Amino acid sequence: MSLLKGTGLAQLLEHPAIWRGRSTARTATLSTGFRALDEGLPGGGWPKVGLTEILAPRHGVGELRLLLPLLARVGGLEPPRWTVWIAPPFEPYAPALADHGVRVERQLVVRTETPLWAMEQALDSGACELVLGWVRRAQPRSLRRLQLAAGRGRTPGFLFRALSTAREASPAELRVLCEPGEEGATLRLLKSRGGARAPIDIRWCEIDGEA
Amino acid sequence: MARRERAASERRAVVPRGAAARAADASHLAPLPAPAAAPAPAPVPALAWVSQQMQGELGLVSAPAELWIALHLPALVVESVAPSPPGTAAGSGGEAEGRRPLAVFDGAAALPRLVAVDAAARERGVVPGLSLPAALALEPALDARPREPRRERAWLARLADAALGFTPRVSLEPPDGLLLEVRGSLGLFGGAAALCEAVAACCARLGSVVQLALAPTPLAALALARAGRPLVLAGPERLAGALAPLPLAVLRWPDSALLRLAAMGVRTLGAAQRLPRAGFARRFGRIALEDLDRLVGRRPDPRRPWQPRTAFRGRCEPSFELEQHEAILRHLEPLLADLERFLRSRQSAVLRLRLVLRHRAGPFDGRPRTTSLELGLAAPEFEAARFGALFAEHLARLVLPAPVVAFELRSGELQARVARSESLWRPGEHGGAAGRESPALIERLRARLGPGAVYGLCLVDEHRPEHAWRAAEPGMERASVVAGREPAGVHRPLWLLRPPQPLGQGPPRALRLLDGPERIESGWWDGHDVTRDYYTARDAGGALLWVFRERRPPHRWFLHGVFG
Repeated sequence: MSLLKGTGLAQLLEHPAIWRGRSTARTATLSTGFRALDEGLPGGGWPKVGLTEILAPRHGVGELRLLLPLLARVGGLEPPRWTVWIAPPFEPYAPALADHGVRVERQLVVRTETPLWAMEQALDSGACELVLGWVRRAQPRSLRRLQLAAGRGRTPGFLFRALSTAREASPAELRVLCEPGEEGATLRLLKSRGGARAPIDIRWCEIDGEA
Repeated sequence: MARRERAASERRAVVPRGAAARAADASHLAPLPAPAAAPAPAPVPALAWVSQQMQGELGLVSAPAELWIALHLPALVVESVAPSPPGTAAGSGGEAEGRRPLAVFDGAAALPRLVAVDAAARERGVVPGLSLPAALALEPALDARPREPRRERAWLARLADAALGFTPRVSLEPPDGLLLEVRGSLGLFGGAAALCEAVAACCARLGSVVQLALAPTPLAALALARAGRPLVLAGPERLAGALAPLPLAVLRWPDSALLRLAAMGVRTLGAAQRLPRAGFARRFGRIALEDLDRLVGRRPDPRRPWQPRTAFRGRCEPSFELEQHEAILRHLEPLLADLERFLRSRQSAVLRLRLVLRHRAGPFDGRPRTTSLELGLAAPEFEAARFGALFAEHLARLVLPAPVVAFELRSGELQARVARSESLWRPGEHGGAAGRESPALIERLRARLGPGAVYGLCLVDEHRPEHAWRAAEPGMERASVVAGREPAGVHRPLWLLRPPQPLGQGPPRALRLLDGPERIESGWWDGHDVTRDYYTARDAGGALLWVFRERRPPHRWFLHGVFG
């Protein structure tokens, strides 16, 4: 590698479209707010464009807290853009979000029986900074549509799915399995472009430490 | 210079100076080419002559303070009753293929007489003035419809709205005329000829046949337009000469006066102008004399300006029943185009639109049924294409109870339109503006999912957890109520269950209480009072929950939140 440094080939390999085996992909990312997770993820954070799947055994085991630092950080863009919640399992509780520094007025909740359609619209529109979707079952084809829509709208999309879908194929950029722990969670990267293979332990107190 | 002289001499040949002064009966001296007798001359070939005619005209004479374009609509009655259906070329109603000859009769009279007919009916010998039975005997397939003055007026108003695109000074000349003061618009539209052509094209687009003339006084323009002379007269010098050969009927004086004048051998405007003024006034009234003065600009002739409507209202009554969404949409398109023109001419936009569909009357009760579609937009909008797309979403969800026989489109209150710059980048690219996309997203989602399915969040200054937030209209403004925060160290769950989920009577065994109680007692004043002890608990699966116990009997336990 050092031999190649400074040559044309090395510059060529820097291109984000080129991914060589287990080497880390050079994608634009958004920091997760957890140091351990940032180190483990390719590029040092959540992919800035494209679909990320978060698999959890059930609702409310910390999958939302995982995104809380990100939720608090976005929303500063001018002109303003939405953070869209598509078919969340419960009501996002505004006071708690505000306590964590999330800008409540930029959240948009969509209640729908067709979350895939709504999510595609939101990703495609380019009017959103972040799209969170809760989907019960989805064909790989519809996920592919979401991935393409996210690419067109240059928007990061997070899809929360059940643990049972871990074996299904998915076109997502990144698939993270989230298991709850006592004071944090254990994350396993099911699919990533060169991320860590070992489980990553994160602790919730990091959030409060930052805030 | 030579060209100028030639143009001037040509014009002299056309309207000999003082011709009117020499002859009592000027009819043999009327060399203007447009045939006055033809009832509905096509305006476009005549305009070609106009543009030749006026090239020298405006260059030579100093233009007066006012210039009026008069539009005369010879086929207004027919056009208003049977507008060209969408998709066919705009033109007089009779040109459409496969249409029955059409005649309009005056329904109010005891013996209905035809007041207007289309070209197809005229070909078969059906002319205005025939009684309805006679007309039907001549042409059994005649499509005879009663006259509708309300729709004639609406048709005229529609043209007046469109004319506002050319000048702010438009006035209605009922029943079949329109006046536009265009002195100030000449520069913008590239001269009188181009402006006249633009106005004629605009009318043709709206499905109206017009006769058009331009003159320095409104009455002269009207007289020329009614006589079917597409003349452009910029200077007042030649006005009297051009008007002289016109028949007196163009002034629409009462028939008795016209008959008496004809008996005196006075049949043209020129002849009437030459009569002694005092005697004329005594015999035919001051008003007639004043008309003659207004004609040439010796008297001021103020006109009442057209006041445009403050809300849009459009109707469509298709000639057949509509059962399919696509057909309704296709018929809706011209209305939406009207709406866009309406909004554009006012620099405004709308937030709400209502489409009322009228269905075929039920077979048993005979009562007309209607369906109303409300279109609520997240941001003021004016483009027909956007409205069309949203109505398409709405109609796709709608199940029609019966075929549609008519529909009406009404706009809500008009909003001032704020022009915005388009962004150079695609939204999301290089920090490109989201601008117009964010309302579009909300509208698209709402059109499909219903207005209640998309909402924003808002904080409320309250201690009761379920009242400390509410669903709000999505808006990017910072919430005014920032308070409502609990003191530091108090944790609230990220998820709230609505309504709280009952867990049973006793303390739930599967839960391990970690923290609490936190007592919340509030709201006795509005009937939704709560007296609860809240605990943080962990269930067997490791999820962190927010549960409470009612302090009043029967002391039930509820799950109210999940910490996520």
